[in-house]
Amino acid sequence: MRNLRRFLCNGRNLAPLILVLSFVFVAIAAPWLSPPSGGNMPAPFKLVESVDRNPLPPGPDAPLGTSVYFEPPDTLLHYDVLHSLIWGARTAIRFGLLSALVAATTGTLIGAISGYAGGWFNALAMRITDAFLAFPILAGVWLFQQIISYLDYNIVLLANHPSLEIIPVSTTAFQKFILALGVDPMMLAFVFFTWMPYTRLINANVLSLKQSEFIAAAKIVGARPRRIILRHLLPNTLAPAIVLFTRDIGALVILRAAFAFIGIGGTITGGGLSEWARLLLLGRTWIIGVGGNLWLYWWLYVPVTVALILFGMGWNLLGDRLNTFLNPRQQD
Amino acid sequence: MPDFAKFVLRRIFLMLVTLFVLTATMYGLFVLLTPPEVRAMAFVPPGRVKPGAMKNFLETVIREHGFRKPFPVQYAHWIGQLLQGNWGFSPRMSDEVLDVLLQRTPATAELLLFSVVLFIPLGIISGVVSGWKHGRWPDFGFRFVAFAGTSIPPFVLGLMLLSVFYVGLHWFPVGRLSGPAAAVTYAPDYKTYTHLYIIDGLLNLRFDLAFDALRHLVLPAFTLSLAHWATLGRVTRAAIIEELGKDYVVTARGKGLSMRTTVWRHIFRNAAVPGLNSIALSSAMLLTGAFVVEIIFSYPGISAPLAVTFKYPAPDVDLAMGFAIYSVLLVLPLMFILDILQAVADPRIREGGADL
Repeated sequence: MRNLRRFLCNGRNLAPLILVLSFVFVAIAAPWLSPPSGGNMPAPFKLVESVDRNPLPPGPDAPLGTSVYFEPPDTLLHYDVLHSLIWGARTAIRFGLLSALVAATTGTLIGAISGYAGGWFNALAMRITDAFLAFPILAGVWLFQQIISYLDYNIVLLANHPSLEIIPVSTTAFQKFILALGVDPMMLAFVFFTWMPYTRLINANVLSLKQSEFIAAAKIVGARPRRIILRHLLPNTLAPAIVLFTRDIGALVILRAAFAFIGIGGTITGGGLSEWARLLLLGRTWIIGVGGNLWLYWWLYVPVTVALILFGMGWNLLGDRLNTFLNPRQQD
Repeated sequence: MPDFAKFVLRRIFLMLVTLFVLTATMYGLFVLLTPPEVRAMAFVPPGRVKPGAMKNFLETVIREHGFRKPFPVQYAHWIGQLLQGNWGFSPRMSDEVLDVLLQRTPATAELLLFSVVLFIPLGIISGVVSGWKHGRWPDFGFRFVAFAGTSIPPFVLGLMLLSVFYVGLHWFPVGRLSGPAAAVTYAPDYKTYTHLYIIDGLLNLRFDLAFDALRHLVLPAFTLSLAHWATLGRVTRAAIIEELGKDYVVTARGKGLSMRTTVWRHIFRNAAVPGLNSIALSSAMLLTGAFVVEIIFSYPGISAPLAVTFKYPAPDVDLAMGFAIYSVLLVLPLMFILDILQAVADPRIREGGADL
């Protein structure tokens, strides 16, 4: 508590905190800030009725204009930009927090346990960690997505063999597990390729801390390894992991938006996209497509870009400030 | 055996371990998540199986390829096929996976090389200068640019650059070569040396070709390297500041060396290791960044097939797997070289052998 007050008393810490908290506020207050249109439409979607094939500029119906999805015969959807922006904050924060939290927890535990065990076990665990560090995350997420889409066998069948009998297909145990978890497979993929930095950080700290006297004392009074790791080692090594965690929340959201933008992780009508990513994807053709113009259709891009940059910047800055606060010796 | 050779051998061994771990994980994920019947379906020639005969056909395929065998057996078989150059077939690109990837490698290599040549010297120099003059205006300038560089997502930056310099000003085109320059490469007297157009153009004395290739590279390379430049600069800066307070700096200054000599001769070498470490850590991110940038600027690198696959509902796992392995094969040598460089910069690393 005293630490919290000390952190809040420094004026330089307040700016990023306010930035981040305002996103949290928008995320929580989304249903009041921009009420869902009701009916059988999922809440994050709000369509504006119009026969115009161009995006509608800001007006009374849509305070920040609309973004258009048009597919040749007769699909014409006008997404309300402001609505997507507000509900996108919710998706972004949920995704960022959850995936960073899972990655941080996994990485921290692996690092601490293998560091405490030491010896060949630690050497092996660190080699595996290093191996994952050498993996370009985009290739991993893409592979994951391609494999995961096998979960929907009917799609495979229909795409390759239009008129085919139904083949009974067994489910692998791991598949059942993932389906039972009910998590977003993309989140799983991101966690799968982002836990390593935590492991390395925690491991290095645990290795050096393990030698200190208070650990020896804990062993002598008969504490079990579990207690030593959780009560003595982790609290003393968590600071850099917290900093990394804070930065990761912003970074992961931006990375996912980037992947969605190039086509990994969902399609506009098929779902799987966050609201911000959909805005980016929809706006792309109007900016760099034939006859596209950034300055003419500014509402397609500027609001969502600003939101993304502020989101990333807020968490990044908060991480910086936490770093100075938690590791005072390592002045920036 | 001399120390250095031992060190290099150990690194090579570690690289093989890494490769094994990664391939086993990837293939393991694939096997764990894909029922044998579905894997067998990839072998069905479209429209060639009689209705009603499908089930038996699938069973035959499963038995032939051993899809129900234990994982190690399947993995060994698969790795054997990989080593023989049989990387599978991509229905989307209707070509062998290895060919698909190899054809597009020079383009990606050119982009990566150009960005690395751009960001490493710039990052080191700006980091050193900013650390040396910390608290003064070059430092503030650098920190501002670095902050902006790490805060703007690369794809947003890419779009801004596209809309200004391509759509608006027509200064820098997208793609890899424009028409007239591409025609040069088909000329009878044009010799291909490296498949990298800038170098080939210079070697053939066709400066128009080299210039055209360069013009196409400027935007993607800038977009790709900005964030890495900022990160490298920050790390170098922090290392320099830490070294500045040490005793040997006082000694060097005391014996009358100028600040410039002290920084570049003494401090720089000590501060280089964190920088190299940061480059090694960001090399995987560099590749991911390169893929994103390639797609934004319609640059025909190895991620171009990726943009094709997601338009189809059916997965193309052979290609995705090949792509993943190929990316790892691109990153590992880079990390290896950086490891060696680190050992050259810091003798303690090659003698220490703290790990394994």
